Amino acid sequence: MEDNNKSYFGEIGSAVKTLAIGMKTTLTEYFTKKSTEQYPENRKTTLHVSARHRGRLVFSRDENQNYKCVGCTLCEKACPNDSIKILTEMVEDPETGKKKRKLVDYQYDLGDCMFCELCVNACNFDAIHFTNDFENSVFDRDKLVLHLDKEVYTGGSLPNLIDGGAPLEIGKFNTKTK
Amino acid sequence: MKLNNIELTFENFANEMAKLKNEKHFDYLVTIIGEDFGEEGLGCIYILENTQNNERCSVRTIAKKVDGSDVIPTVTNLWKAADLLEREVFDFVGIKFLGHPDMRRLFLRTDFVGHPLRKDFDMSPEANKFPLTDEPEDDFTVEYSLDKDGHLVETKHRLFEEDEYVVNIGPNHPSTHGVLRLQTVIDGETVKRIYPHLGYIHRGIEKMWEGMTYPQTLALTDRLNYLSAMMHRHALVGVIEEAMGIELSDRIRYIRTIMDELQRIDSHLLFLGCTAQDLGALTAFLYCMRDREHVLNVMEETTGGRLIMNYYRIGGLQADIDPNFVDNTKKLCKYLRPKIQEYLDVFGDNVITHKRLEGVGPMDKENCINYAVTGPAGRAAGWKNDTRKRHPYDCYDKVNWEEITMTGCDSMDRYYVHIKELYQSLDIIEQLIDNIPEGEYYIKQKPIIKVPEGQWYFSVEGASGEFGVYLDSRGDKSPYRMKMRPMGLTLAGALDPMLRGQKIADLITTGAAIDFVIPDLDR
Amino acid sequence: MFDFSNVTIWFDALLRQTLGLGDFWSILIECILVGVLILAGYAILAICLIFMERKVCAYFQCRLGPMRVGPWGIFQVFADVLKMLIKEIFTVDKADKLLYFVAPFLVIIASVGTFSFLPWNNGAEVLNFNVGVFLLTAVSSIGVVGIFLAGWASNNKYSVVSAMRGAVQLISYEMSLGLCLITAVILTGTMQVSGIVEAQVGPWNWLIFKGHVPAIIAFLVFLVAGNAEANRGPFDLAEAESELTAGYHTEYSGMGFGFYYLAEYLNLFVVSGIATTVFLGGWAPVNIGIEGFDGIMNLIPGIVWFLGKTFAVVWLLMWVRWTFPRLRIDQILKLEWKYLMPLCLINLVLMTIIVAFGWHF
Repeated sequence: MEDNNKSYFGEIGSAVKTLAIGMKTTLTEYFTKKSTEQYPENRKTTLHVSARHRGRLVFSRDENQNYKCVGCTLCEKACPNDSIKILTEMVEDPETGKKKRKLVDYQYDLGDCMFCELCVNACNFDAIHFTNDFENSVFDRDKLVLHLDKEVYTGGSLPNLIDGGAPLEIGKFNTKTK
Repeated sequence: MKLNNIELTFENFANEMAKLKNEKHFDYLVTIIGEDFGEEGLGCIYILENTQNNERCSVRTIAKKVDGSDVIPTVTNLWKAADLLEREVFDFVGIKFLGHPDMRRLFLRTDFVGHPLRKDFDMSPEANKFPLTDEPEDDFTVEYSLDKDGHLVETKHRLFEEDEYVVNIGPNHPSTHGVLRLQTVIDGETVKRIYPHLGYIHRGIEKMWEGMTYPQTLALTDRLNYLSAMMHRHALVGVIEEAMGIELSDRIRYIRTIMDELQRIDSHLLFLGCTAQDLGALTAFLYCMRDREHVLNVMEETTGGRLIMNYYRIGGLQADIDPNFVDNTKKLCKYLRPKIQEYLDVFGDNVITHKRLEGVGPMDKENCINYAVTGPAGRAAGWKNDTRKRHPYDCYDKVNWEEITMTGCDSMDRYYVHIKELYQSLDIIEQLIDNIPEGEYYIKQKPIIKVPEGQWYFSVEGASGEFGVYLDSRGDKSPYRMKMRPMGLTLAGALDPMLRGQKIADLITTGAAIDFVIPDLDR
Repeated sequence: MFDFSNVTIWFDALLRQTLGLGDFWSILIECILVGVLILAGYAILAICLIFMERKVCAYFQCRLGPMRVGPWGIFQVFADVLKMLIKEIFTVDKADKLLYFVAPFLVIIASVGTFSFLPWNNGAEVLNFNVGVFLLTAVSSIGVVGIFLAGWASNNKYSVVSAMRGAVQLISYEMSLGLCLITAVILTGTMQVSGIVEAQVGPWNWLIFKGHVPAIIAFLVFLVAGNAEANRGPFDLAEAESELTAGYHTEYSGMGFGFYYLAEYLNLFVVSGIATTVFLGGWAPVNIGIEGFDGIMNLIPGIVWFLGKTFAVVWLLMWVRWTFPRLRIDQILKLEWKYLMPLCLINLVLMTIIVAFGWHF
């Protein structure tokens, strides 16, 4: 900021100068590399999605596809939106004869979820986690009601994106689709 | 800060408040909390601050029952900021402020029945049907006062004259940054009077909080000013941690400071862009948005969110920083510094910008304090109001930084304060980023979090002002009353005095320059 | 240099002599043909300009612009036009229906009217009166009425404010616009559009070279004033989407809005076209006085020269638009009456002196 005591012509001169600097800046940008990412053309190539991005909830499973959820309903209670509903039943263990709670249905309504991660925090068994699978749009709301114990999740529409996809470099744009 | 309230009665309230303001120099009214104290009845807590020595105090008074209404004398004659704050209390708790010139509802519809933050409010869906009619609007407002027999009397005031040209700027308007509605009386191009109407995105977060456990309350803060998501959550976890007496590790403090500053950069970049866009310079807007992308990328790698971060939690952080975080942040700082000059080249130093912003929406230091215009807008008038300096939290007392103030009192200086604060945030980050100590990123808490009884207030410096959370706990697993001091509410209240006699285009400019985000002030 | 009048004379002869039509029929057929050509040219140019604006704007803003519809997005504008054509046209309650519907036509009439003055090629001027420049400024003023009526008739408070702004701004800037053109007329000694261009044929004969200092000043002021006339940033106060939502055309939908949209872009083209005609030699090729070079340049058809130069000016105006923030209403008037007007008047005197003493090249 400069002092304001310029003459009529001095004012015009400095005004024109600032305008010229503005024009120069935009002209430089006109010829520099652009910043638009071309999704969905790049979804299988140069797309990067943070591995920690919360796209949807899935069950953590071991190599035999067994889940760890015991149906304790802590996540259900932690959820501010009631988007998790758990059905359990008591079954008798044939060997020990003790009664044990068993998960019947783990219903997760993706449409109601606000991705606050409180359910994951509440879980004592590391049974659930979020993945960065973000292409979840469907035409029917009912299809957003998922049953996590019944599905075998293999990485959604872009399985190679789960670990982040293409590398990210701060300060660089990737406008390419290949 | 744990509140030790000065208790005042109805009779000595007005005098004692005047003494606090005039003799003890408590000239900054931080917020007014209307609360249903249960057996004691309705009442208010006033949080005041002395701008000379940054001392805070809180005053509590219980409303007096007069003719079936609860009344408290107004303090609008002492602190102008009380105007909207008292209307908010009236709206939510139903206390009528005697002598307040404009006692209308602020957030809820004029035909809303009841006052939702009273504990006896009927929450059943049948009693709260979604209205299908238009909101009735009156040209009159009411003022309550007591006559000499001690009865409550209503005086009507006219809001608009018959032949005044009233334009609604908002709620759907490209440059109110959300759904703010400004009922503006104009004469040709000149603004004569502005009545802000709020509540178009009011979600009743404070009411919802009362039914939530403490961890659940966190989920809503990111949805206030979505550009200060980190700071909002910081204030909330801050007040809960203070109340519970949780000692954080240094690592958590460092990371929180860095994240807050990254968020500030994010918000300020958007501010610079939106100011440009409101002035019609779309290109400058897109340059800012382009670079903001990198800031978001850095944060997303660690937090998993770009807008809704969900990063802080009671007792620490959601997750440890990403392995590349330090590296990425350094790259970001290196990338961003020359870009700030570019924004100035293309927009900030431009003669048209100067002509559009200089002398626009003026408000001097004294009025800024009186209207509680905190944040960059207040600092542009020379008021040292940065919460990071006044009441340092986390690492802000360890890093080396100077509070930025300017003296122009106008929109141009508000713009430059933002520019300087960008550099400042980068400086703070660069001081901390190499020195993040090892340690826990999360202090394990009990599965069910209970806060001991008491009242606390904790505030942080949001991107556009002081953001504070007041917590009244009765020892439960959910709060008895939680109240935010939104950054934007007092800013919106200051629009009218700033803009009388200015042009319509100046209204847009000033709105952009004082930087409010509506979901934050509507809550 | 190819003279397009050969074609027109041949066609006239074809109608009158070969087909034996009388005055009435031959003139009718010629008028219809010319009208269709003008409208077709208008539409095609509008599409080119909108696409150009999108891409140029995107490139200034570090974006790619439309990329989806067709390769490199070239069919995007066609899709938009299709959308606009099938959109519902509605009227606002309590709007002044007659004025509301008339307004877009006034704007488009002014736009097409001025468009018809442009000299496309040697011998291809459509409207070529001896008071050409004078008439051109007169026709362009009709647009103000359209903007004013639209704002008034819409029964919308934003639109009224915008109408006031539009009227004040356009009427003010017409002053400088006219004065700049008069400066050029002094130098060429004719108001006829074809005459002005013909005066610029030959080495270093473009007015901007011939009239040196005053001509350059007049050219720059003309661009500023023309930009304001075309209602484009940084002078798009009447539209001012961040202040008045969309100003005078807030309440228009479908082709009503489409007309304003078309007119905005064509006005941009017309302003650039007039600037080209008057200062940059219209269809006159670059001649530098070296025979071989001039010969090659003269082989390039005039229309290519004309369009090339005009689009260069269009690009310049787009560059300006996508760089600067918008002015405020009092500033825009101050700029005109305090800076541009005096400058134009002084410039006029300067040009007169130069012409009187023969100091031009």
